[in-house]
Amino acid sequence: MGEAIVTRDLTKIYKEGRVEVTAVSSVDLQLNEGEVVGLFGPSGSGKTTLLSLLGCILRPTSGSLRLYGSEITSLDEKALPGIRKKYISFIFQGFNLFPALTAYENVLIVLKLKGIERTLADQRAKELLIEVGLSERMHFLPRDLSGGEKQRVAIARALAADSPVILADEPTGNLDYANGRKVMDILRMLASKERRCVVVATHDNRIEDVFDRILIMEDGKIMKENRRLL
Amino acid sequence: MFYVALRMMLYDKVRSLLTLLGVVFAVSLIFAQGGIYLGLMETSSVIIDHTPGDIWVTSKNSKNFDFSQPFPEYLYYHVLSAQGIQWAEKLFIAWALIKQKEGGTEQVEIVGYNPDTGIGGPWEMKVGDVRAVKNGNFAIVDDSAMRRLGDIQVGEYRDVNWRRLQIIGISQGVKSFTTAPIIFTSYKFAQRLVGWIGPDNTVFVVAKVSPGYSVDEIIKNLKKRLKGVDIYSKEAFSRKTRLYWTIETGVGFSFLLTIIISFLIGVLMVGQTIYNSTVEHIKEFGTLKALGASNLDIYRIIFAQAFLNALLGYLISLVITMLSVRIYEATEMVMVVRGWVNLLVLGLTLLMCLSSAFVSIRRIKKIDPAILFRG
Repeated sequence: MGEAIVTRDLTKIYKEGRVEVTAVSSVDLQLNEGEVVGLFGPSGSGKTTLLSLLGCILRPTSGSLRLYGSEITSLDEKALPGIRKKYISFIFQGFNLFPALTAYENVLIVLKLKGIERTLADQRAKELLIEVGLSERMHFLPRDLSGGEKQRVAIARALAADSPVILADEPTGNLDYANGRKVMDILRMLASKERRCVVVATHDNRIEDVFDRILIMEDGKIMKENRRLL
Repeated sequence: MFYVALRMMLYDKVRSLLTLLGVVFAVSLIFAQGGIYLGLMETSSVIIDHTPGDIWVTSKNSKNFDFSQPFPEYLYYHVLSAQGIQWAEKLFIAWALIKQKEGGTEQVEIVGYNPDTGIGGPWEMKVGDVRAVKNGNFAIVDDSAMRRLGDIQVGEYRDVNWRRLQIIGISQGVKSFTTAPIIFTSYKFAQRLVGWIGPDNTVFVVAKVSPGYSVDEIIKNLKKRLKGVDIYSKEAFSRKTRLYWTIETGVGFSFLLTIIISFLIGVLMVGQTIYNSTVEHIKEFGTLKALGASNLDIYRIIFAQAFLNALLGYLISLVITMLSVRIYEATEMVMVVRGWVNLLVLGLTLLMCLSSAFVSIRRIKKIDPAILFRG
């Protein structure tokens, strides 16, 4: 299993006025290709901040972050969009789909941002939506889709980026069990078949069986690492 | 990104319509104010602009066409005899009173010109001939004067400065900035009509420069030879007249102020809508950023929205303006619509809408990644 992400002593400190809040503290982590990792922990434990650091949305205060062997922390702020475009995809609890665009267009926009030629992008967007089981509803606006369907559009959009790392924040948070399970099965499949590295921050114990590894965070630190949450 | 911007606009139809109305309101107002101002300015120098000749000689410190003072007529001969002058004509402008049919009087502007050449006379006749004012108490009244003077017919008699004259023609397109009706007569009759100026004085001398001579050089030479008068090129005197009305009367400032206010209203309307739309879609924009879109990619969507608003608003305003020209004409106002004005307003509209998008740009720059993770 090749290493996808490696962190050493990764720390993020926020300044709130004169007070310093340590959101992530000295995290050492190795995340591998083809692995689905669950990030558990109570609210405020630092899961989301860690996800933002791994996704190069936030810059760490100290420590190092390597993506596929490239050191990221030393890079300029302007280089980060390019890094994200190459390595990272996100799936959010709130879906964050453009309400004015159909499911197909929401996927297409990412392909266009990647500079993919129109005909190929069109074909790929349709393939991705078929892959997540939305062949019948690709020309629907988000308001006409169920929560599960919206999340599957968000997954298709994340896949459109064709990134080796998928970071998901509470992907089942707004879904019922059946839809949540469907979403997790797709993520599991992406890790197994396509060797993608999937990291999921969640509170949802019902989906713990999907994960290869479970990391439990508390007070910004990884407190425990298990194969299964007991 | 234009497609995304268009879809966002079409999705929220009510808001888009309100924004568009705001742009149309602001741009139509800019068109109207600019057009009326230019119409007034063209009116103020209409006789200068339509009179052939390159040089205008006026009394010293003459402020504009309408309020020029007399100067000795013999200077005309100095101009005529100067080297490089092809021809010169005297032109007489003075204020007078015309007796109204129903009693009372109205102030009019008398223009006296040489009927043999027609220089300084009306350039477009509705009825009659420009040369017909020769050898008698004859006058031509402009069509635009009818509203003030009543329905004047050719052959009718009127009293100007208590002297009877006969209307022998109706001209077109000669409207004065002062709104006073313009009455054309022969130069000699005008001198008699407005006695206080005297038979040995004139108000303007208009001269044509011979081919091969420079207008500026001739003006320089004339300035050396003639004392007690000002000498301008046709364009300079036209500009001086327009500037007088623009600056001295505050007309220009008033129009400029309205244009600036319209512009600001447009900026606020479009700015507010685009900003609200950006804030509403901040998570979607943030997600695009998270998926690797640069700030520039997102700016393109926002600027595309602003550009579409500008273009649509401008086109609708242009149609409204073209249609309203006739309405202005019916109310005796002149609104000028010219190609360069249209381009200028297009530039202003783009500036208005694109500058209003900058507030949203700041918002995009400062997207807090944490919002992406809030369900």
